[in-house]
Amino acid sequence: MSGASTVSASEAHKLVWEGAIPLLIHLHDSEVTTLPPPPPALVLAPRLGYLPLLISQLKPYFSSTLPPGVDTLWFEYKGLPLKWYIPTGVLFDLLCAEPERPWNLTVHFRGYPSNLLLPCEGEDSVKWSFINSLKEAAYVINGNCKNVMNMSQPDQVELWRSVLNGNLESYQRVSSKLKLVTLEDEYTENINAVPTASQENSGEGDAAAQVKSGRIPVRLYVWTLTEDFDDLESAPQIDNWDKVSYINRPVEIHKEDGKYFSLHDAIKTLLPEYFPASSFGNLGDASTNLSVADEGENTCDPDSSSLPLENAEIKLVRIQGIEPCLEIPFSWVVNNLMNPEYFLHICICLKVSEANAVQ
Amino acid sequence: MAKSCKSQEEIANDAIKNALKALRKRHLLEEAAHRPAFEALSRPIASQGSEWKEKAESLQLELQQCYKAQSRLSEQLVVEVAESRALKSSVQEKETAIAEMQKELTGVSEERSQLKSDLEQKIKALELVMSENSELKARLEQMTTKANKAEAENKMLVDRWMLEKMKDAERLNEANALYEDMVQRLRASGLEQLARQQVDGIVRRSEEGAEFFLESSIPSTCKYRLNAHEGGCAAILFEYNSSRLITGGQDRSVKVWDTNTGTVSSNLHGCLGSVLDLTITHDNRSVIAASSSNNLYVWDLSSGRVRHTLTGHTEKVCAVDVSKVSSRNVVSAGYDRTIKVWDLMKGYCTNTIIFHSNCNALSFSMDGQTIFSGHVDGNLRLWDIQTGKLLSEVAAHSLAVTSISLSRNGNVVLTSGRDNLHNLFDVRSLEVCGTLRASGNRVASNWSRSCISPDDNHVAAGSADGSVYIWSISKGDIVSTLKEHSSSVLSCRWSGMGKPLASADKNGIVCVWT
Repeated sequence: MSGASTVSASEAHKLVWEGAIPLLIHLHDSEVTTLPPPPPALVLAPRLGYLPLLISQLKPYFSSTLPPGVDTLWFEYKGLPLKWYIPTGVLFDLLCAEPERPWNLTVHFRGYPSNLLLPCEGEDSVKWSFINSLKEAAYVINGNCKNVMNMSQPDQVELWRSVLNGNLESYQRVSSKLKLVTLEDEYTENINAVPTASQENSGEGDAAAQVKSGRIPVRLYVWTLTEDFDDLESAPQIDNWDKVSYINRPVEIHKEDGKYFSLHDAIKTLLPEYFPASSFGNLGDASTNLSVADEGENTCDPDSSSLPLENAEIKLVRIQGIEPCLEIPFSWVVNNLMNPEYFLHICICLKVSEANAVQ
Repeated sequence: MAKSCKSQEEIANDAIKNALKALRKRHLLEEAAHRPAFEALSRPIASQGSEWKEKAESLQLELQQCYKAQSRLSEQLVVEVAESRALKSSVQEKETAIAEMQKELTGVSEERSQLKSDLEQKIKALELVMSENSELKARLEQMTTKANKAEAENKMLVDRWMLEKMKDAERLNEANALYEDMVQRLRASGLEQLARQQVDGIVRRSEEGAEFFLESSIPSTCKYRLNAHEGGCAAILFEYNSSRLITGGQDRSVKVWDTNTGTVSSNLHGCLGSVLDLTITHDNRSVIAASSSNNLYVWDLSSGRVRHTLTGHTEKVCAVDVSKVSSRNVVSAGYDRTIKVWDLMKGYCTNTIIFHSNCNALSFSMDGQTIFSGHVDGNLRLWDIQTGKLLSEVAAHSLAVTSISLSRNGNVVLTSGRDNLHNLFDVRSLEVCGTLRASGNRVASNWSRSCISPDDNHVAAGSADGSVYIWSISKGDIVSTLKEHSSSVLSCRWSGMGKPLASADKNGIVCVWT
């Protein structure tokens, strides 16, 4: 994205904003008071949205059969209560190794597990969580969140409404006022053309001045395994949030001569404990190593690292429901696959040795 | 294009292309595949939802209208309820008013019927009265005519009578004139006789014994009223030939009075009971008292000391007398039905006479040989002192004899009795020679003493009404009644000098009359 206020949406942007997950939502047996039990609800949940916002669509299906009481909405997938502040798409990518379409969820209207989940008071809680994340992102990017806090009330309302309704144009209008610039993306429009910017990129130290190398707000969901699996279908289920480590670290992009900052680099930067061999200084060497290894291979495939055994094996990387090649420029990822609150959510599945296993 | 070492850019671009491909694939798999179906399925829900919404809205409108209508109706209801309550209360009031009026009505109708019946009665009565009235009127007419006739007759008779009277008057006048004439003549002759008598009287006064006669005039005024004894005075007597009075009373004292001055000259002490009777020796030396303490006391009058106490009676001693000849013999009567004769020298009883009827009064005869006794059975008896034998008895009174007293000359004995009579007996023949009585005179007690005046012509006796009656023996009638005492007079004594007369009453007052 350029710093200009009016930007045309790229195809990737459109696809990301329009993304929606088919959900087949079953009412939990304990809350069914009529015979026959109601059929499950079929809902399309926006990937960039949040599960609690679905209540208005779900209520009509189940209101007649609910037991008396106050509605406290929560969801679970195969017994695991779902954290409501994680965007729907991220939950789906994380919890379904083999994407299940439609995704079978169980909904509860009663008996909120306050010992496991943070309290949620409906749309307002979600909205404030969203704004909070936005402020966090602004802080990471600019060092302060003045621009978010100085946002006018109508702008706030419109921002949230655009997220609710999935209105990309409206969102871009408002968010450009925030001037949260992360990276100059030289790749977005220039896929088929000879990138003139790449010339600038390679080797010109002065060109680096044009690119704002900043800090990227990233939310990393790491799922570690000790056993290997062959295909995704046989991957073990996440049945406990303790198995997922949630890492909220910004990524600092370092421009290297001759090499763009790839996704793999970003991951390695984020998880130094799993990739001890790759240090920041040796990033170039590592990347050349990698590129050597990539030759003759289909670069799309998730590559098994030829690094020493201490390094973890990246089984799976998912962003916005796709598994990009690890060589994809991180800047493209940032500019196209970011969530509306300016955070990049990445789901990773790692296989580690016993010694390095996360509990 | 295929270099042995793909350039960085190419790698990058390929990666990007692949990413885009992946996104499109995802799009196809997820939302593109499912959206139509979901929308189709949710349409009925949505439409239902909108349906429900519309229904809800319309129902809400209806409900609002219903509420409005309800509020209006409830307002109306409140008004109606208030009205009905007011009406109910007014109905209640009217009902109570009606009940009251009905009651009144029944009352009034009752009254009316009552009045009707009353009226009928009155009418009947009136008719009766009217008929009576007419009858009376007729009678009145008759009477008035009769009266008129009678008046005329009366007038005529009166006229005639007047005429006769005038004639009588004339005759009387004539008689009067004659009588006056005669009286004149008589007066003249009477004056002559009177002159003669008076000359006689003057002559008579200078004869012997004339003092006695004069002094035996009847006492009329009370000279002294002495508070002699508390409780009553039953026994009084004068010293011989003196005006000294000795009294004895209930207060166990014997007093000697000087009746000229009305003062006590001496007291005799020693008696232990009420003094019932007194007697004095002829030489005025000893006084003997009969006492209720069954004793007799003998005082020496000059010294005032008790010389003898004569004991022997077992009951009260109610009468005592001493011989007028010798001072040695004393006779006493007690209520133990005995009469005892005592010898004062020896100091003890020499003879005891027992008789069934109690003796109330005693008296020695003039010669000292005979005793007169008056008894409860009303008889007067005479006893011989030496032998103690009954000499004679005579019925003196129908009730008890209360007093015996001898006249000065010893020929007549006076007895008084409870039958309110005073009899005079001749001593030798024991025949009644006179009876004295008075209508108001009542003998007060069993021991009321009466006496004969020294000139043997008068008798004095006290009465229960407090007055002293004085009779003249010769006339046989009361000559004087002395009123001074306030209670019954118990004893009367005439002084031997002719005056004064002393009387004692139940309150202990002694009056001295001159």
